[in-house]
Amino acid sequence: MGALFRDPVLFATVLGTNLPFLSMAVILLFTRSKPFVSSRISVCSIAVSAVCAVSLLVRLFSAPALQYQTLWFSSDKLNITFGYYLDPLSLLMLTIVGIIACLVQIYSLGYMAGDPGYSRYYAFQSLFAWAMMNMVIAGSMLQLFIFWEMVGLASYFLIGFYYEKWSASQAGKKAFVMNRVGDVGFFLGLILLLIAFGNLGIPELNHAAVTHGLPQGLLTVSSLLIFCGVIGKSAQFPLLTWLPDAMEGPTPVSALLHSATMVAAGVYMFSRIFPFFSASPDTMAVALAIGTVTMLLSSTMAMVTYDLKQVWAYSTVSQLGYMVMALASGGYVAGVFHLTTHAGFKALLFLTSGIFIHEFHTNDMRIIGKKGGRKLKIPMVCMAIGALALSGVFPFSGFFSKEAILTVLASQPSKIWYAAGLFGAVLTAYYSFRLIFHILLPKGGIEEAHHEEHGASSHEHEEGHHGYIFWTMAVPVMILAGVSLVLGFTEHTLEHFLMRSIQVPGELVAPAAHAVSVAAHVAAGGAHHAHEAGSPLLTILGVSAGLLGIAIAWFEYGRKGASRNGFLSYFPAIWKLFDCRWFLDIFYRKGLDTLVYAGLTSLFTKNDRRVIDGGIDGICVFTEGSGRLFSFLQSGMLQFNLLLMVLGAGAAVLYFVI
Amino acid sequence: MTAMNMAGFPILTTILMTTIVGLLVIIFIPPEKTKLIKQVSLASASTGLALCLWLYHAYDFHKGGLQFVERVLWVKSLGIYWFNGIDGINLPMMLLTSVVLFTAVWTMWELENRVKEFYALVFLLVAGVYGVFMSMDLFWIFVWYDVSLFPMYPLIAIWGGTRKEYGAMKLTLYLLAGSAFILPAILFLWAKAGGHTFDLFMLQKIGFSLFDQKVAFLMLYLGFGILAAVWPFHTWSPVGHVAAPTAVSMIHAGVLMKLGAYGVLRIGMMLCPQGAVYWSHLMALLGTIGIIYGALVGLAQTDLKYVIGYSSVSHMGLVGLGLATMSVNGINGAVFQMFAHGIMTALFFSSVGFIYDRTHTKIIPELGGLSKTMPIASAFFIFAALAGIGVPLMASFWAELLVLTAAVKVFPVAGILACVGMILSALFMLRVVQRTFYGDKNPKWEHIPDISRFLAVPRVVLMSCILFFGLFPKVMLDVIQSTVIPFVTRF
Repeated sequence: MGALFRDPVLFATVLGTNLPFLSMAVILLFTRSKPFVSSRISVCSIAVSAVCAVSLLVRLFSAPALQYQTLWFSSDKLNITFGYYLDPLSLLMLTIVGIIACLVQIYSLGYMAGDPGYSRYYAFQSLFAWAMMNMVIAGSMLQLFIFWEMVGLASYFLIGFYYEKWSASQAGKKAFVMNRVGDVGFFLGLILLLIAFGNLGIPELNHAAVTHGLPQGLLTVSSLLIFCGVIGKSAQFPLLTWLPDAMEGPTPVSALLHSATMVAAGVYMFSRIFPFFSASPDTMAVALAIGTVTMLLSSTMAMVTYDLKQVWAYSTVSQLGYMVMALASGGYVAGVFHLTTHAGFKALLFLTSGIFIHEFHTNDMRIIGKKGGRKLKIPMVCMAIGALALSGVFPFSGFFSKEAILTVLASQPSKIWYAAGLFGAVLTAYYSFRLIFHILLPKGGIEEAHHEEHGASSHEHEEGHHGYIFWTMAVPVMILAGVSLVLGFTEHTLEHFLMRSIQVPGELVAPAAHAVSVAAHVAAGGAHHAHEAGSPLLTILGVSAGLLGIAIAWFEYGRKGASRNGFLSYFPAIWKLFDCRWFLDIFYRKGLDTLVYAGLTSLFTKNDRRVIDGGIDGICVFTEGSGRLFSFLQSGMLQFNLLLMVLGAGAAVLYFVI
Repeated sequence: MTAMNMAGFPILTTILMTTIVGLLVIIFIPPEKTKLIKQVSLASASTGLALCLWLYHAYDFHKGGLQFVERVLWVKSLGIYWFNGIDGINLPMMLLTSVVLFTAVWTMWELENRVKEFYALVFLLVAGVYGVFMSMDLFWIFVWYDVSLFPMYPLIAIWGGTRKEYGAMKLTLYLLAGSAFILPAILFLWAKAGGHTFDLFMLQKIGFSLFDQKVAFLMLYLGFGILAAVWPFHTWSPVGHVAAPTAVSMIHAGVLMKLGAYGVLRIGMMLCPQGAVYWSHLMALLGTIGIIYGALVGLAQTDLKYVIGYSSVSHMGLVGLGLATMSVNGINGAVFQMFAHGIMTALFFSSVGFIYDRTHTKIIPELGGLSKTMPIASAFFIFAALAGIGVPLMASFWAELLVLTAAVKVFPVAGILACVGMILSALFMLRVVQRTFYGDKNPKWEHIPDISRFLAVPRVVLMSCILFFGLFPKVMLDVIQSTVIPFVTRF
């Protein structure tokens, strides 16, 4: 306890990460019926957490990585520790999580105003922030897994927040179960490491992988299993369908889940034990393929939907695919940098969409456009900034990170990944601007009257566009837009900062100098390519991919006399394929129904009823029946008994004689 | 106050006496004074709880071994001792029993029908349970075991619900069939050891031949396994749960099923270690089948109590798998899981009991939207469901982690299948939660008030128990492991 107060860093860490839990407890136990108090408690605590995170980042900016740990419990030879690991990566992520969570909670003050579940909402938001922050600074993989699961739990509650809606509770359940599928792989990977290696400390694991302290077979199997966790959490290829459904949650929740937290957790975990993953070329190859497939598949899905949030959801999946591609091809800094910039502009996109949805009570971009979405100037401009950043247009943040990723991909021996990356960039720009043009330049112009009528009749708190509600929503959005403008220019600072986190494992665990150099050399190999980013050809290609996408969108939706249908509408089959998410959902549903519900479950239930119970009941019936039979013998009729006796004696005599 | 100061005081017998004195006092209270009967019950249960907590605190896990020993010769010619003691395996079970009894008594506060008889029988049952856990003499273990079984029949047949006569009969027959295996096995071991002692530790020193161990262990495993709802002897358990009144379900699933697993560990594995090793593959197989099978059948159930009953089958399968590994982590995890599952399932039945009392149904399709009308009562169930899924920072997570770590090491296929069972358990728990508590406000239940503060107390006690041991697993594992480490050296 004493150390906690004597060490300001530890104090800030513990306070910052656990304050949200405290606020959740207070809200659930005491202020459930006082929404105003609950929301302020939650916002204040997350603000303090964000301040703690930022001050930690500043204070430890040039300090070596810090590790605190204590024994949680031990069983046999397993020593489970609880601890914090503060290195550049975790400090950066902690800051991102703190700031985004804080902005989202402030935004929610307006967005969720008047909701009957206001207190509950803030309790779960706090739970979420607590879980996420603790996951980020976890000192061991087991601790990371624990809070990883807590993040999943919190997101289950948040996605299913409107639990009276069947689809919402269904989406929450789906998210949890699909994550579980990935987590079982993750868990098995950890168990395998626990058995074979005996230590799940993050620096220890990275160090062992880099210095060949782990046999290659074990490394490949366990890293593949652990990668299953990334697939589940970051919605990668086979398990990606839960994420678009997760849009059932309130929009700020989507913003939080899709930018800096939940889904970013998978990518964060990947980068957290990046040296460990990169020591297994097979795993990296699998991850690269999965990332690419995910990126392309979800981009195509985003091209056909009219739902505002769905577009950004698919786009999140595809951007996560980008990050996985970057990491899997060795681009540690590029991946983490894209994670950072994406957190900013994706939160921005969701939060601005939230303003539109809050205003027009629909998710359909065509209707929003018609009702005069562009009249909301601040959100419109901010959304355009977000879309530009997403499409990778200079000088927005996405430009820098996407360039970094494409440079890393270009350094791969096979150019197919680079080509896929470029193609993905075209698609990204296309679907983002398809949405922007739908709102900005709606088909058939704006229907003035309709909007007026609507605005007057609906919500009670729509007191003009510039009241309290509007500003609590607009200010966070404007801050995020500003961030998206400037964040890109911090690339070099961030790169130097992050490169230290790769070298840390060596310094921390083994003071031996060669270990340090090996760690730095092997694990950061890819990152150096990013540093060399300068080939003008690559930049030109990258930028023109984005511009090409925007141009196609302009041609189809923007220019005067455009058809506004999209070229895909000429291919109904492909449209249907994209619209039905490549039939993945239908496949899972069918599989689950036939295999589990109609197959095993009903088979086993029948077995219980008929075979086991039937057998036992049969024995009972038999016992009862034979009892009746024998009771018949005990009838008390003397002559009958005498007859039996004589017959029996006769039989015995016969037996002995013969 | 340390254990040494209390060395002379028969604390274990005193704990046993709290239930028996409670029983006797209740017998002499006129049946119409129901309030007084309940107060006496609660007082007696609380005394037991306080003593068990003290016991837990006073047990010195650095020293380990058997502590608080009471050993008096009772029948010399047969070698029967009044021999009680506490070690790291039965200490968590004692604590579990006292917590479940305390919360069960409190949960049934609204009982109106034959209050006196009900509480008297409950105390008789729990006396048997305490007796089994604390006794270190085979004879007494068997006696207490049967004492704990008989009250189940009237408790279910009189105060029960759905198909109560059938459920009570089925349960009693199954458990007696179990006894029919256990008694010969005990007598067999006693006779093989020369017929002059029932003392577990003296029997342990006698090396039984491998063949004897195989035979005896199989019989003990089958006999106790029935009580632990080992597949395929599990069907009595969901039926019994469904038929039983709330408190009985709590005690039954929370404590009584643990008697089975405890018996396998305490008698079977302790006296016949080589026999246990011989049958370990069978145990692992049945345990794993139980995990998967229980979860899958649970998916198809429409009765809340059936769902929990099958989840118990699944969770007890995990205990079986843990024991089968014969390793420190496996047995640590199994004992921890026995404790965690006991508390969790008591919370389950306690919350279902409240819902059933108010809505008079536990059929899932008839419920729905309960969160709107009774948010707090629903939260208790949802909390238990999360514990059942194995969400981290709840006690059962650590138990699962330890068991699965050991299982993957010793029986890789079984271990991996058991991990897959985690997905199924998430699926079926969340399915129940969704259908029962989520959805639009149900007009049928709109008039029902939420759970009162008073009735929330036992549920909160159980919840805090789950959280406490989830956050501080060391408190439990240090105790368990002090006994398990020397225990496994014999395999």
